[in-house]
Amino acid sequence: MTRASWIFVTLSLCHLSTLVFAEEWAQFRGPNAAGVSKASKNLPVEFSHEKNVAWSVELGEGIACPIVTQGRTIATSMIDKQTLAVFCFDAANGKELWRQEFNTGATPPITPPNTQASSTPCSDGERVYVYFSTIGMVALDLKGGEVIWKQKVPLPFYLMGWGAAHSPILYKDLVLLNQDDDLAPFLIAFDKLTGKVRWKTERPEMLGGYAVPVICKAAGREDIVVAGTGKLKGYDPSNGEELWTCNTLLRTVMTTPAVKDDKIYISIQSYGDTDRVLKYALLQWKDTNQDGKLGKDEFDKAFWAKFDKGDANKDGFLVDDEVDAAFQASTNMVGGGTTIQAVRGGGTGDVTKTHLVWNLENTSPSNIASPLVSDGRVLVVKKGGISASFDAETGETIWEKKRLRNFGNYYASPVAGDGKIYVQGENGFITVIRQGPKLEILAKNDMGDSCTATPAIADNRIYVRTLQKLYCFAEGAE
Amino acid sequence: MRIIIAIAFMVVAGSTNLLNAADNITVVVGQGAPDIEHLAAQELVSQFRKLFDANVVLSDFLPPPRENVILIGSPKTNRTLREVIGDDWPKVSDQGLVIRSFKNDKHSGLVVGGGSPAATLWSVYELGHHFGIRYVLREDLYPDKQPLDIDALDIVQEPGLKTRTWRTVNDFPIGPESWGLDQHKVVLRQLAKLKFNSVMLSVYPWQPFIDYEFAGVKKQTAMLWFGERYPINSDSPGRTGLGGVKEFTNPTFAGKQTYEEMTQAGTKLLRGIIKESKRLGMSVGVSITPLEFPTEFAKAFPGLEPARGLKNLTVAPGAKLPPDSAKLKQLVAARIRAYVETYPGIDTLYVTLPEFPEWEQHVDSSWKELASRIGNDAPTVAELIKTARSRSTVASGDRGESAIKGNIVSLAFMQRLFADSELLTRSDGKRVELVITAVDDALYPYLDRVVPQGSSTLNFIDYTARRVVENREKLGTIPTERVRSRLIMTLADDNVGVLSQAATRGLGELMSDLHKHGWDGFSTRYWMLAELDPTVYYLSRAAWDPKVTPRSAHDDLFTTITHKQSASDRLWIGFGHIEAATELTDKENLGFAFPVPNMLMKYYAPGPIPEWWEKQNEHYTEAMIELYRSRDGARPYAQGFLFYYAKRSEYVLDYLTTVKALREAANAKAKGDKEEAVAQLETALEAIYNAIDTLGDVVQDQSDRGLIAVLNAYGYRPILAEYEKLVDE
Repeated sequence: MTRASWIFVTLSLCHLSTLVFAEEWAQFRGPNAAGVSKASKNLPVEFSHEKNVAWSVELGEGIACPIVTQGRTIATSMIDKQTLAVFCFDAANGKELWRQEFNTGATPPITPPNTQASSTPCSDGERVYVYFSTIGMVALDLKGGEVIWKQKVPLPFYLMGWGAAHSPILYKDLVLLNQDDDLAPFLIAFDKLTGKVRWKTERPEMLGGYAVPVICKAAGREDIVVAGTGKLKGYDPSNGEELWTCNTLLRTVMTTPAVKDDKIYISIQSYGDTDRVLKYALLQWKDTNQDGKLGKDEFDKAFWAKFDKGDANKDGFLVDDEVDAAFQASTNMVGGGTTIQAVRGGGTGDVTKTHLVWNLENTSPSNIASPLVSDGRVLVVKKGGISASFDAETGETIWEKKRLRNFGNYYASPVAGDGKIYVQGENGFITVIRQGPKLEILAKNDMGDSCTATPAIADNRIYVRTLQKLYCFAEGAE
Repeated sequence: MRIIIAIAFMVVAGSTNLLNAADNITVVVGQGAPDIEHLAAQELVSQFRKLFDANVVLSDFLPPPRENVILIGSPKTNRTLREVIGDDWPKVSDQGLVIRSFKNDKHSGLVVGGGSPAATLWSVYELGHHFGIRYVLREDLYPDKQPLDIDALDIVQEPGLKTRTWRTVNDFPIGPESWGLDQHKVVLRQLAKLKFNSVMLSVYPWQPFIDYEFAGVKKQTAMLWFGERYPINSDSPGRTGLGGVKEFTNPTFAGKQTYEEMTQAGTKLLRGIIKESKRLGMSVGVSITPLEFPTEFAKAFPGLEPARGLKNLTVAPGAKLPPDSAKLKQLVAARIRAYVETYPGIDTLYVTLPEFPEWEQHVDSSWKELASRIGNDAPTVAELIKTARSRSTVASGDRGESAIKGNIVSLAFMQRLFADSELLTRSDGKRVELVITAVDDALYPYLDRVVPQGSSTLNFIDYTARRVVENREKLGTIPTERVRSRLIMTLADDNVGVLSQAATRGLGELMSDLHKHGWDGFSTRYWMLAELDPTVYYLSRAAWDPKVTPRSAHDDLFTTITHKQSASDRLWIGFGHIEAATELTDKENLGFAFPVPNMLMKYYAPGPIPEWWEKQNEHYTEAMIELYRSRDGARPYAQGFLFYYAKRSEYVLDYLTTVKALREAANAKAKGDKEEAVAQLETALEAIYNAIDTLGDVVQDQSDRGLIAVLNAYGYRPILAEYEKLVDE
């Protein structure tokens, strides 16, 4: 190599180093939970636990997504049964910069594939915000990991024992957390500097769900948009007041909407038919003695007040409509099914008839993996690696029921960058498809372990959190 | 020993400071007590610390007055116990349990002992059971912490069935043949808690557990799993449950290649199992098929002919080799001596008569010998054949005739063989108990006279519990007062195969018959641990108390674990569906999911969809619903335990979908409908993928891993190959 070329390479590397760590992927699924990287280039097509690995670290069990901020990568894991660890790594080389451990105490029950360390942190580039059910919301200093503030959050309870998996987001000076559980669902805003509760909005019509709030700019406003049981709702960020509701969703919402321009896209699969309201699910699964009525002892004590509310004749049992009266709001008696829809933001009041752009009763959606909106198309992927693509403007089907040639469950949501879409299966394979109107599979990459967390993309790199490890992949990393 | 106790005392005493102690309990073990009683004392200390907020310490002398004390052992082994209890020690057999509260002017407490050191250990576990611990095959399930109350306890028990045998090693990757010593130890420790007292190491001629030679011919075959290999690659569903290995192996044999390496590892494994079993107070036996040999022995013995069996790995005496062949007798004797000398700690040798005997030509002369032992009431060969042909067990018709003939010849051979009393003498001078296994049931009325004198019997009537129940009258035909007889109890059958199975209700009927007819006990037969917990729990309780029923044992287990009768009810219904599906499969197609290479692709052949498949599917669907429902109703502590059952029932449904889709694919292909055939194969492929993936989510042990390996090899890969072939055509 000549001296000139050395200088060129050195300059190039310097240039790269200034660019490499500029992109933020600082919350669940990156900017506005959309799963789209706009800045990354030259993202790897072929990579695996043995190929194009820039670095990797052992973390311990967890399914929260990694985030990337200010050249640092944050991840969490349960390092033992009652200890949550928050890790901060140098995004360039995986060096551990700090870790902060929290005693969680006895953890509440969860149902696999959920795990205790399942909530994705978020960051404003100075602080890291971490939620854990028994700890609450914690702000840590990004530089050294010191605890800046800690706020208790009511412990969530789930009728079916799913467990917590809510992830906070940041909006201006607020840390927002939507906690839709089956007991006392709410949307809460903390002051990001002090942890003080700025406002808290009850969401009494909601049942347990996991949608992360998103921000929609429309009609000259920026609304917090949250999907939940039966309803997509917009809230005023300044005070948490409900601005609008679109009553087109289904009973159980575990996916997060994606926003593109002034439209909000959501895909849902909720178990059962459209008339399967909560009581049928509860009578099927919670009525342990199968006597056709629900006794108090068939519920966690936390639900007993709700139980009493529903027990109209005070006979100590919930029968038929009493079940719904106890747990599902009479104004929101929605059932199961599947839907993919686009809703225009920026409305006021009930926008069901005015802002629903299109609605497909299509069987393509997953119950957990969120839709990806990129390049004018909506992509959904469900169990079996079955994909479908729809025109974002019209809802017209581009393709449907096409396999990604990778079976199994899909819990992670697809992410996109550099003209490629990364679809991660629970079996540890990430299928890379070309962003375009035809399904073109570019690679199927083996992570070597099961994967539930959605990958992160930042600064030309992909970060993949397997059940036990965190990988950073970059083209030509070896 | 005193030093060891002092150290244990210090360790325990030191750590108890961490507890919020409300009570002080001193556990006193006798000075110079047998090792098993020390183990019993340590186990009691460990259990009490988990059960109660109490300071529990181990000692070999009495604590100061007014402190609670628990005395471990018997008047023979614990002087303090003898002084405290005086004449209050009940008369018990060597298996009798004694748990008795006492109070005198200085101390109050408990005596926990038994008629032998092993019985003392069982008493400790019975006490744990009394306080709500439930022992299952992989773990102990504890109740919530509770106040300590050891007053007014008076438990004296004797088992109705004296021999409670656990069979292990066996064959197939889904069976204990896959287990390393660590897993064997886990299960053995749980079995001791369930008061099993005997372990049978069931081994086969081709396996790597023995080395012998005779007349210049050396054993050269040492393989697992009939010589099959199970590679795992990145495309293998369920691979995460296998921990990233490239090939599924028994960890004991990982990297072993040569005959010598394999045999050395196998010997070490069995010795380890024997040592652990002995430590836990169990007797150990080896079960062999002495008339079957690896094929290399055929060269030196022209009369040995290929025996039927998977992959034809053995040879056995044929018509040209008479049962009075001195050379054959020497060969078998050499092999038996090899076992007795390689495993000097064994207490029992189980000699299994061939399942498919080829030696029937010599039946008349052999029967003449046996009949002379029976006397005047001996039937003729023709009468025996008639009985064997007309019975309803699996060995009926021609197979029945062949079985009885071969059995008679083999028994005559055994009579001659074991006339040599030195054959079963151990190096320490003790005699190994001889158990003859699988005597034809037509010979049951004469059993005491057709087997070598002084030997016991282990009896096989048919493969499944359902089949044995249908022939339960045979259980009353054995003169149990003259020959110690045990029954092979199939908990889960390899022919019904890899599906979830249950047999508790059927076994309940057999257990009552065993008690009624004076049988000595039973030996288990199973491959996977899978759904065995409720069945093994029932056997462990009913062996001691004939009043225990499958339902009462089920409730005792699950109500305690889940804290809800309603959850136990759901499990009872769920397991009922599994048992109904097991019986249906057994009745309609015994080999439905037998874990061999064509286990799934055999359904890729045109033919009707049998109606019973729908019923089978319904049973497993209902089971899945009930198992999930029970999980939801259980206390959180028990939910993980129950989740395993629920996920396995999910797996079975995907397995059944695979079977049906393969049949549909073959039918479509036969009709020339390629598109439909491809679609059905795709359904089959996805279903088997999901089946294996689901198993991978809840892997508990090496048998679970073995099942993943088997389904990859015999399910996913061949279906994928056929799918790709058809797509490319």
